[in-house]
Parts: sequence; C-alpha cells; structure tokens
Amino acid sequence: MSSITLENIRKSYGRSGPAAIANLSMEIGASEFLCLLGPSGCGKTTTLRMIAGLEHPTDGRILVDGKPIVSVADGIFTVPEKRNMGLVFQNYALWPHMTIRDNVAFGLTLRRTPAAERDAIVNQVMTKLGIAKYADRYPAQLSGGQQQRVALARMLALKPSVILLDEPLSNLDAKLRLEMRAELKRIHAEAGSTIVFVTHDQWEAMTLATTIAVMSEGELQQVGTPDDIYERPANRFVAEFVGSLPINIIERSAGETGPLVSWLDQVLALFGIDAAPVASAGIRPEATRLGRLSQHEAARCAAGYGSVVDVVPTGGSWIVEIDVKGTRFFAIATDNPRLSAGDTTHFWVERQHLHLFDREKQRIVL
Amino acid sequence: MRKDKNINRSDAMTLQTASSEDTQRPQPATKRLSYLLRVNSADPTLMLALLLLVVFGYLILAPVVLLLIDAVTVHFADIARTKQDLGDLTFYYLNRVLVSPISRDLFWWPLAHTAIISVAAIVISFLVGAPIGWLLSRTDLIGKKWFSTALLLPYMLPSWTFALAWLTLFKNRTTGGQPGWMETFGFTPPDWLAYGALPISLILALHYAPFVILLFGNALKQFDTQLEDSARSLGASPATVARRIILPLMMPSLVSAATLIFAKCLGDFGVAYVLGVPVGFDVLATSLFRAISTSQAGASAVLAGVIVLLGTISIIIDMRLLKEAKRFVTIGSKGAMVRQTPLGKWQAPAFAWALLVFIISAGIPLLALTLTTVMRVPGSFSLDNFTLDYWIGTDLGTTALRQGILLTGEFWLALWNTVWMVGLAAIGAGVLGLLVGYAVVRSPVAFVSVALRQITFLPYLVPGIAFAAAYLSMFAVARPPLPALYGTPIILVLAILADQMPFASRAGISSMMQLGREPEEAGQIVGAGWFRRMRSIVLPIQRNALVSAILLPFISGIKGLSLVVVLAVPGTDLLTTYAIRLVDYGYSQAANAVVVMLCVVAFTGTMLVQKIGKANLSDGMGSK
Repeated sequence: MSSITLENIRKSYGRSGPAAIANLSMEIGASEFLCLLGPSGCGKTTTLRMIAGLEHPTDGRILVDGKPIVSVADGIFTVPEKRNMGLVFQNYALWPHMTIRDNVAFGLTLRRTPAAERDAIVNQVMTKLGIAKYADRYPAQLSGGQQQRVALARMLALKPSVILLDEPLSNLDAKLRLEMRAELKRIHAEAGSTIVFVTHDQWEAMTLATTIAVMSEGELQQVGTPDDIYERPANRFVAEFVGSLPINIIERSAGETGPLVSWLDQVLALFGIDAAPVASAGIRPEATRLGRLSQHEAARCAAGYGSVVDVVPTGGSWIVEIDVKGTRFFAIATDNPRLSAGDTTHFWVERQHLHLFDREKQRIVL
Repeated sequence: MRKDKNINRSDAMTLQTASSEDTQRPQPATKRLSYLLRVNSADPTLMLALLLLVVFGYLILAPVVLLLIDAVTVHFADIARTKQDLGDLTFYYLNRVLVSPISRDLFWWPLAHTAIISVAAIVISFLVGAPIGWLLSRTDLIGKKWFSTALLLPYMLPSWTFALAWLTLFKNRTTGGQPGWMETFGFTPPDWLAYGALPISLILALHYAPFVILLFGNALKQFDTQLEDSARSLGASPATVARRIILPLMMPSLVSAATLIFAKCLGDFGVAYVLGVPVGFDVLATSLFRAISTSQAGASAVLAGVIVLLGTISIIIDMRLLKEAKRFVTIGSKGAMVRQTPLGKWQAPAFAWALLVFIISAGIPLLALTLTTVMRVPGSFSLDNFTLDYWIGTDLGTTALRQGILLTGEFWLALWNTVWMVGLAAIGAGVLGLLVGYAVVRSPVAFVSVALRQITFLPYLVPGIAFAAAYLSMFAVARPPLPALYGTPIILVLAILADQMPFASRAGISSMMQLGREPEEAGQIVGAGWFRRMRSIVLPIQRNALVSAILLPFISGIKGLSLVVVLAVPGTDLLTTYAIRLVDYGYSQAANAVVVMLCVVAFTGTMLVQKIGKANLSDGMGSK
C-alpha cells in the first residue's frame, strides 16, 4: 500500500567500477503490480535488492510514501531489517534447519508478537496458501511449488507494505505457474499491496504485471502496460526484447540496400510516411499475415512475397521462414499454411503493425 | 478504478534518463561518510574481518616474520662473537649454518638425510599405495569396505608410534634400556636395520601411504571409464591406454601426493628423533630441535627458515598442479561411468597383498606396542614374563616411575592437559575457522578477504617444528598485550590453535560458500539483526560443519608431536611429549603404554568424526 520513488539511482561496484545502473528514476504507485523486465545483467535484480536494502545505491534517493529510506546526500540509510518489506527469493531461501511453521513464525517471533496472536496469524496464512498440512515438515521434504508457497507465507505473515518477488514463476513447471500466477493475483487483489517483481521472462511479465518497466544495461527503456510495451515499443531494444519470436528488423540506415529495403521504401510511400528519419523498421512475425490480398485491400497494406525456406510446426501455430531475395523474414501462421520449402508465398502487414525507429533507435510516433 | 489509472500509467510515470542535474548537487563528504557508516552498521562483516585479520596477524604472521628476522639479526649471546650490536643485521647465522665448518653437521648432512628419507618414503609409499588405491576404487576386491578404513589406520595414529614399535622389535645394544624383541629371540639386528635411514623411510612411507591410497584412489574413481573404452575402440592396447590416457590424467594426483608426502616428511620430527638421533642420524627437523634446545636462537631461525622455504616450495608446486588438474575436470562428463574390474583368479593374491600391507603397516606395530606393555622382557613369551605392572603395578625396581602408568600422576596430568589444551585449541580453531569462512566469503573488501585467507593458510607452509620455533621467537618474551608465555599452557593452546587454522579456515570457507547469502538475507528481510542472524540462522545451519571443524583439529592436535615438543615443559606435558620424555629415559614399556592410550583416543575420535558427518579423513589431509 506504499508508493516507492527511485530518484537518480546510481550503482557501481568497486570505487570507480563501471556503473551497473547509471541514473535510474521511476515511481511505483501504491497498490501497483509492477514488473522489472530485462535480460540478465540489466540491473533489474540490483534495483529490487536496493529497494529491499540488501544493496545500497552509490548515489541517489529512494523514498517510500514520500519519506526517504535511502538518501546518499543526506546520509540516510534504513537497514533492511527496519523496512517492513517482504521479499521472496528466486530459490526461496527457506531456512533448512527450521520446520515450515518455524520458518513462517520466525519474523513474528522477532517482533515479539504474543504467542497466541502469532500462532493464529501463522495458521491463517498457512491455511490460506494450502501448506498447513506440512507445518511440521522441513523445507527439504517439500516440492518446489510447496516451498514457494512457504516462502510466500513467510513473507505474508508480516503483512509487509511492499512485496518484492525475484523471478516468482521461473522455477515452476507449466501447471504450477498458472496456479501461482492466480495466487499472486489474488494476494494483490486482497491485500492491495504494492508488488514489484523482476523477471527476464516476458510471459511472466505480461501475465502478472499491471505495469511493466523494461530495463537494459542499467537504464529504463520503457514503462507501460503490457499492451503498451507490446504494441507500442518505445525503442528498438523493447521491440526486439518483447515478443515470443524475435521481431523482423529491416535496416534502412545509410549503405543498406537490398530488396527488402526498397520494399520498405515502397511501403512507406504507400502509407504516406516521410522516409527520411526512418533508420529501421520492425514487423512482428505474428503480425505478418500470409496470403494474397485483393487489389482493393492491397492499397491499405504492405504486401510482399518470397520463397518458403522452412515451415516449423509449434503446436497450434506454424513458424514460416521466408526468403525475400536473400533476406530472412519470419511469419507466424495460426492456421496450417500448407506450404513447403520452395513454394512462393505472399504476405502482408497492416499499417498499425509497422514499427519505425529513427537513428537513435527511438520509436517514430506516427 | 485501478484500470483507469493503469491506462495512463506510461504518461504518469516520470521517465528520466541520464544527465539529470539533480545528482550533481554537491554532497558534503561527512554526509557521504555517515551514509557509508550506516550502510555498514547493518553489516559488521568488515569489522569482523578486520578484527580476525589483527588476531591472526598477531598469532600467525608476526611469529613467522619474527622468526625470519631472527635469522639475520644479532642475538644477545652472540654480541661478542659477531662484534656487532644487539639487533644489527648480520649474516653470521646464515654463514654459520650454511658455510662454516660445523655447517656439515648442522645443516648439510641433515639436509641430505632429509632428502634421502623423503625420496625413499615417496617411492615406497607409491609402490605400496598405488596398487591399493586401484584395488579399492576400481575392483571387486573382497572386504573392500573394511580395507578402505583399515588401510588408513596408520595415518590416524601418530607417525612416531610406529617408530616406537620398530624400536620395540628391532632395538639392539647400541642404545640402552630394555632389549628389543629380536634380541630376545636371539637375533641381534645390525644398526642399519635397527636405526637410521632404512627404518625411518619405511615408517614414513607406511604412515603416508594413505595419502597415495586416497588421492590416487579418488582420482581413479572420478576417472570416466568411457575414456578408456573410446581409446580401446580406436585400437589402443591396454598398455597404450595406461601410458597415454590414464597416466597423464592421473599425473596431477600422483604428483600432488608426492609433494604432500615430501612436505610432511620435512616437518616430521618424531620418527627421526626416535630412530635417528640415538645413532647420530640427523634430519633437518631434529637438527632444528637440537639448535633450539641448546639455545642457538639465530641458527635455529635459519634452519626453520630453510624448512619453511622448502615446505612453501613444495606446497606451491602442489597448488599449481591442483589448478592444472582442475583443467581436466571438464573431461569427466556428467555421464561418467566407473566400471569395476573383476579380479577373478587374482582375487586371492590381491586380497593377500592388501592384508599383508595392513598387517605390516598397522597390525604388527600396534600388536607389538600393546604386548610390550604387559611384558617384563619385551618379546619373551614365557608365561611368567607377562605382567600388568607397567599399567597398575607399584614399587617397581626403577629409579623413577616406580609405579604403573595408570597410577602415575604425570600420566593423568598429561592426559588432562591433552584433553583441555587441545580441546580448547580445537574449539577455538573451529569457531574461528567458521568466522574466517564467513568473513572471507562475505567481506565487501576483496583485499581483506584475500589477506585473511592467505594468513590463516600460512601455517600449512610452515612445518610444525619450524612453527614452534617461530612461536618461541614471538612469545618467549613479553609481547604486549601478552606477557612472556614460555612454560605456560597458553603458548601451547595458541600454537595448536594457529597450527590448525589452515584446515579449520578451509572448512569454514567451503561450508560458507555452500551456504550462500540468501538464507541470511531472508532473515534480514524479516527483521533479524546481524547477531540474531548469526545465532538463529548461520550457526545452526552450519552445525555439522562446526562439529567437524572442531573434531578434526582435535584429533590432529592430539597426535601432533613436532609442534608441542619444543613448547612443552614438564608441567605442561601432553601425552605426546610425555611419551617422548619416557622414551628419553628408556622406559619403553611405560612409553608404549602411553602411546597405546594415545592411539585409542585418536582412533576413537577419528571414527567418531566419520560417523557424525560429512567430515572425511581426506579433508583433513589437505587434499582439497
């Protein structure tokens, strides 16, 4: 239920080492379910750990509900023990020498909660997460999914104002992922807590978060709803990082020539777009439709053709690899395209699915 | 409601990229300092690391450095001879030990003897140990499990107990005291059989053969038989496979075993003291002991320095090779297969060989030692010769020690001293080792953690007797905050503790590495401060590691002689030094009785450790 503000956070390791995070500012609203998404090494986990207090920024401020818990310039640093934040580790970090009940109760014991009250809370949380029957077992005796529930229970027992999750679904199998996703959504809805989690897995990000913050090399690339991120990527990085199959990129910068480039030029002209600032264009494979258009429709769409290199069934959809006069282009068909290698296929893309980027690789808003 | 908010999220969110003016606002240095203090106050690891660095700088580094300084500065006794002032830089001692007319007896002969017995010990232990390593790891030898404990027995017991056993059997009239068994049987062993190079090499070889058995056996165990198979399938003969595939891959473990044995022989004092000194056969360790006991501080510093140098070189070679060996690790794929070779008709000879090695290296010596303690004349098996006098007798016809060991106050004092001094040192080493592990793994300053790791490892490079010499240099006089410690139990406890730190700190580091940060961070998140985390999370999780980090140093400390023989005085005798004192007086039976008690304690302890947990004898050998 708390809002978190990061102000000009810099983090470098060693005295003059390169900055893992150069200058990061963002605001996480109260009751938000925010995901920090990025490839490994992009600084997302460091950011999460700085919010928790397990790492300290080299510069900058972190505020909770407007009050600084870290401010390098003012000499303020609240130790993690005093932050009342809940953190679930990627590997759960359950204490192997304590029973499940003791794991969940430990934080309350530290707060000197009266025994009766403590037991009531512990029982309630364990029941809610369906682990009450394992109360007297040790972590090693539980499966991964159960262990994660224990880790969640251990955190929820303390009613933290902010919940931090490190790759919450990554160690689970497909079925458990769906279950845990529902569980986390429910926790968010019931407690109204502010939840921040990090992941490199866009499925995890898309399915859980209400807001996604995409990071790369210690810098924030875009913040938005899952739909924003997917449909209106702010720059090349976001466009290329998000999407189950990598986006098709057509380079149009100086010196790039070739059939696809001239095709792109025709398309831009067709749509009446000024081609001068366009340095590259991206087209998602799943936005690429296969087949021929009527004369009438072709006037509104970017259409092209090429020869089929390979058709890969993925169960439910088909990846079609197309050779457009020497350049690879991928499309996804949701119906069996009934094509085989060597066939010629036509494809087309609607205007809204054409992502254009300038020389700084930023999105050109049309 | 929330949905509305989210739609506008991307606009509402302030998105700033680099080059904001705000960070550049001036920050007073004091504020930044107070920030760093606050950050570190949550985590006293650095403080702990620095504290440990000071403690071990004082207990380990300072003595060794002082020792080296002692080798090149003028001592009080030599002011007249060197015509220099006290504390001046001098080459007098180096000259005396290495070049002067007495250098032959003081240094060069002992050096040659040390070289001879080490090389002989290495060769013999390989001839004995390598086949057994193979039998135990790669064949279906009958009684393999039993053998793999029994054949390590010699290493569990002090090396010089086997020297005493040898003396019991082969002693002749060259030295005084009770006759040996052979003599009683009517055969007088010649001097070359009774004393000197041959028995010393043999005993060291049998004592350290377990190194070869374990290191070579483990390497063979990890060796993927598929590598052999693929060579065979390409047409290589078994001999070619052995020469071109197995041998190169086994090389690191073999050389590692050899350097370890060399380093151990270098520092082994007891065996040469019992079997060499009576006939003037000196090794470096005994020469150093004589220099110390005749108060030649400068010469003993030089000798100790040479031993340290040789020990360091051999350990560095070993570490290099272990690093080399790690390169090979990638070869052992996950699907490594170890096939047992059926011995077939070789089963009986192989079994006989293993049994023979056991009988010679452990059976006969222990039996001889034990039987001697109940015989008036050693080796005479007539019924009236048996007696329990040496255990519980009274009014024996001897000048001193007129009663059995079990009725002698000094024995119980030595036993008690052993238990409390070694026990205290072991507990200290175990706890400090775990703390060192914690500090090394968690220290935010890499330099501190490297320094701490190296310093606690230093005693490993310094053979016991040289380390004891270093402790004399350091603590024979008052070193604030400590008073002069020579003759007190404290110097023994500190020396044993410091001497056990290499193992204890390695154990601590490796168990802390395995622990990882997360359990502790999880504690931090739910509100546990540093001391609470230590008490409720780190130490309980490491309980088993702590137990073995205490017990293994305890066992190794109990049987250690070379370290304590220099530092103990009659009032602070341990079982080991007490036994050696009895040997000096010629009370063979009593000495043997003490040694038998010592073996019982060491053996039970070792078995206990292996029962309790992950601790393995090979860990204690520094094979890691």
